[in-house]
Amino acid sequence: MEQPASLSSPDVLVEAVARGSERALKRLYALESPRLYGIALRIVRRPEVAAEVLQETFVQIWQNAGSFAPERGAAAAWLTGIVRFRALDALRRHSRETLSGDSALGDLAVEPDVLAKLDADADAAALRRCLEQLEENQRRSVVLAFVEGFSHADIAKRLSAPLGTVKSWVRRGLIALKGCLSP
Amino acid sequence: MIPQDPQERDAVAGEYVLGVLDDEQATEIRNALATDRELRAAVTFWENKLHPLSALATPANPPAEIWDAVEARISPPARTPRPSVAPWRWTTGAFAAIAAALLLYVAVTPREPLQSAAPMVAVLQSSQTQSAGWVAVLGPGGLRLSKLTRQAPPQAHAYELWGIAPHTTRPVPLGVIPASGEMRLAELPQGVGAGATLAISIEPPGGSPTGHPTGPVVYTGVLRAT
Repeated sequence: MEQPASLSSPDVLVEAVARGSERALKRLYALESPRLYGIALRIVRRPEVAAEVLQETFVQIWQNAGSFAPERGAAAAWLTGIVRFRALDALRRHSRETLSGDSALGDLAVEPDVLAKLDADADAAALRRCLEQLEENQRRSVVLAFVEGFSHADIAKRLSAPLGTVKSWVRRGLIALKGCLSP
Repeated sequence: MIPQDPQERDAVAGEYVLGVLDDEQATEIRNALATDRELRAAVTFWENKLHPLSALATPANPPAEIWDAVEARISPPARTPRPSVAPWRWTTGAFAAIAAALLLYVAVTPREPLQSAAPMVAVLQSSQTQSAGWVAVLGPGGLRLSKLTRQAPPQAHAYELWGIAPHTTRPVPLGVIPASGEMRLAELPQGVGAGATLAISIEPPGGSPTGHPTGPVVYTGVLRAT
């Protein structure tokens, strides 16, 4: 059977999942699970925990798809939000035992050309442009929190800065980003 | 307190999306989202605008059995065709949920020293609708409680789990259930095992201040061997 191209879009699939289609969930899994698993793995580090996070994520997608409204933006961003929250929850339960042991943890965010790895589409380009306008430590703090799931304390340790300073880097970074990203 | 100043609200919504708020603040935001349209818009803004950053995590193929576990948790075991799914699908899916919870338990619980005890399951039903709201699995690694219902506690309240040993009437507090609806307990108090009743009540955010349920008991179920 011919499948229209739109059937492979997360937006269309989430809508079908909301109507109770298991097939749509399976297609969504096939389409999005490597990306979402990668996000989870990045945050929790342990494959068995990331696997649990991914499973919980798709059960939650199944249960909550009906509450996803298109005015919430792209379905892919909604999915990212779910897997990140699930991963952060798992991190709290399991404690980040790797943090002290893995000296490379968080290196990505402090690489000078990290933002060059972002996609080339318009949304990513806008975010990149705005992130590049931030003060370096503000940018690193935001990236560490989002990509690695770092807490304020994790960031403070990684960047060897006082906790209060880090909190202000994150907050001021967000306020500057908001100004830059708003239409 | 959710800030009313737009810039403050945007900042706290961004911190929420980043995941840097402490549990108490994050719960406050999550609870307010249902009713605060501006806060919801601010959170959506950040989810969408920061989303491109997630491309910095390299995609990876998850273990193949994950999909099977997901499928087992959302489908009735017989895999018979169903009418289109209504919000009460979990009522009829209760047995699937039990099977799935067990499967999940076996599949993904970090391996801990095995004890001989066979797993036990409790399906906690709504006191009002009798529909299955939660499933608890007690195995060698402890108790794992999972939410099936979409029902959330009333605003500025939390669900608290209680155990009542067989032939007793006094509920023993087992803890406030996180907003995620998932809870694990490494061990249960003496007597809270086979035949014990698990109950969920509505309490203030930090749990009952008295050590006894102070709000209505909204779900109950009995732990039984499988």
